[in-house]
Amino acid sequence: MIHLTTFYWIALLASLWLGLAVGWISVVQRGAGVSERWRWWLVALATALVAAAFARVVPGRAGYWLDLGLLMSAIYLCGCTLGSWLRGRAISRNAPAE
Amino acid sequence: MHRLFGWSSKWWPGVIPLVIFWAIAAWNSTEPLEADLVQRATAALKDTLLDKRRISVAGRDVTFAAEAFSEDGRASAVASVEAVPGVRLVNDQTRLVPEAKPFAWSAERDVVRVTLSGNAPLPATKARVLEAARANLGGVEVVDAMNLARGAPPRFDSAALLLLDQIGKLKDGKITLSDTKVSLSGMARDLGGREAITAALRNLPEGYSVAANDVRAPPYIFQAYKDPVAVTLTLTGYVPDNTVHAALVAAAGRKFFREKVVDNLKASVGAPAGFANAVTPALSALSRLSTGTLVVSDREVKLSGDALYEAAADQIRAGLGKDFPPGWQFRPEISVRPAAAPVDATVCQQLFADLLGKARIRFESGKANIVEDSAGLLDRLIETALRCPNANIEIAGHTDSDGENSANQALSEKRAQAVVDYLVKAGLPANRFSAVGYGSTQPIAANASDEGKAQNRRIDFVVK
Repeated sequence: MIHLTTFYWIALLASLWLGLAVGWISVVQRGAGVSERWRWWLVALATALVAAAFARVVPGRAGYWLDLGLLMSAIYLCGCTLGSWLRGRAISRNAPAE
Repeated sequence: MHRLFGWSSKWWPGVIPLVIFWAIAAWNSTEPLEADLVQRATAALKDTLLDKRRISVAGRDVTFAAEAFSEDGRASAVASVEAVPGVRLVNDQTRLVPEAKPFAWSAERDVVRVTLSGNAPLPATKARVLEAARANLGGVEVVDAMNLARGAPPRFDSAALLLLDQIGKLKDGKITLSDTKVSLSGMARDLGGREAITAALRNLPEGYSVAANDVRAPPYIFQAYKDPVAVTLTLTGYVPDNTVHAALVAAAGRKFFREKVVDNLKASVGAPAGFANAVTPALSALSRLSTGTLVVSDREVKLSGDALYEAAADQIRAGLGKDFPPGWQFRPEISVRPAAAPVDATVCQQLFADLLGKARIRFESGKANIVEDSAGLLDRLIETALRCPNANIEIAGHTDSDGENSANQALSEKRAQAVVDYLVKAGLPANRFSAVGYGSTQPIAANASDEGKAQNRRIDFVVK
């Protein structure tokens, strides 16, 4: 899959930037988050999809699309983590000055 | 860390654009990616020997179908495709090339093309055989109907190439190789082609053998055409060797005293037994015709043309076949030329003189037996005698001066009588002819030389 990044590197980059942006915003966002119950459901879904991808049970193009989706999601989550962490650091650095 | 966990609950709004990005990426990248995988999988198999190779890609999954020539080759081909970076799964539809039993290969030649069919062990062998066929056969179309199969006997390539050489020597026919057994049928292109093929088959690779060789030789043809307008005798076709060739041309020169002999004969092997013994009398018979064609095809002699008079036609029809060696057939198609207009005695004498000026009636040495070579001349003399039915003719025998006078006298009388007998046998009335012997008393040339003596040994026709 890594060898094939020439075909979808823009999508990966877009996922990363999207993740950074969402992560950056999420620190100060006041809206409702995903409830605890939903979170478990989402983790279960993600686990199932990753398992399906590694088990190579989804055939042909659908299999490729699954891999691509999971890869983009992983990079998005990395972007989110990095964005939130940077925003969190920025806020905590500014706080003592106030 | 705990804060990060809290923030992550608000990451979900990004999923919507993420799904849109994902859809765009899937839409744009799938086909180019598949094309790239096909190309790289094909490149990975570049040096692998396979038949009927088919590669298709769906997503990252490769469907690979091919026929391999060995189990090792098959496994390594599949491994090569699996090793292509980016390939997720290989749907292996490979199998081994079917094994042929018996392993049969054939080359068939007809008028316009050579068809190669049956089995070939490897693509390289197939290509080599095709290339050799095209090179050997010149402009003949070569049709490839060969399939690949396993199970070829050892040294198949050499055997097939040798057999292809032989198909070039056939006019039409088929050469089949079944495992190590060779079968041939058809017609050789040239005389001697059959023998050449048989000789070449001795060089078949070790282990190969000839099961059946039914190659036929083309008919052995000899033709002679007597053209009364051009005054030529044209000889075409084949003779067994140079000795027979020289003998036949010399015999033709003696028998056809007026015609120029045009010799287009070629020496070739494959003559039927008794060839010279059949052709020589047939040429004698042809010499008796005013116009005619002699066709000798294998052991069949066909003589067609016009005899000079009825009795000659009967003699030729009945007599020629008797002289042939056993197994030979004679098919006469003899008609009789319409009788020429009668002439008076003076013209008759002139015609006799013309004929006998060109050739002499010849006898066996020291005897009164007329040789066969003189049949043509005698027929013309008889035809002339028939044109002047009222003239009485003296048949005058002469000898050279060698030997005693009494013996010469007796010989000249006997020879004159032999000619009279011949004329009577041909249907002329005996009372018109008188046989007279002059011995050596009336020479027409000096007896000092062999040439002069030959001129003096003669039969004259004198109209009284």
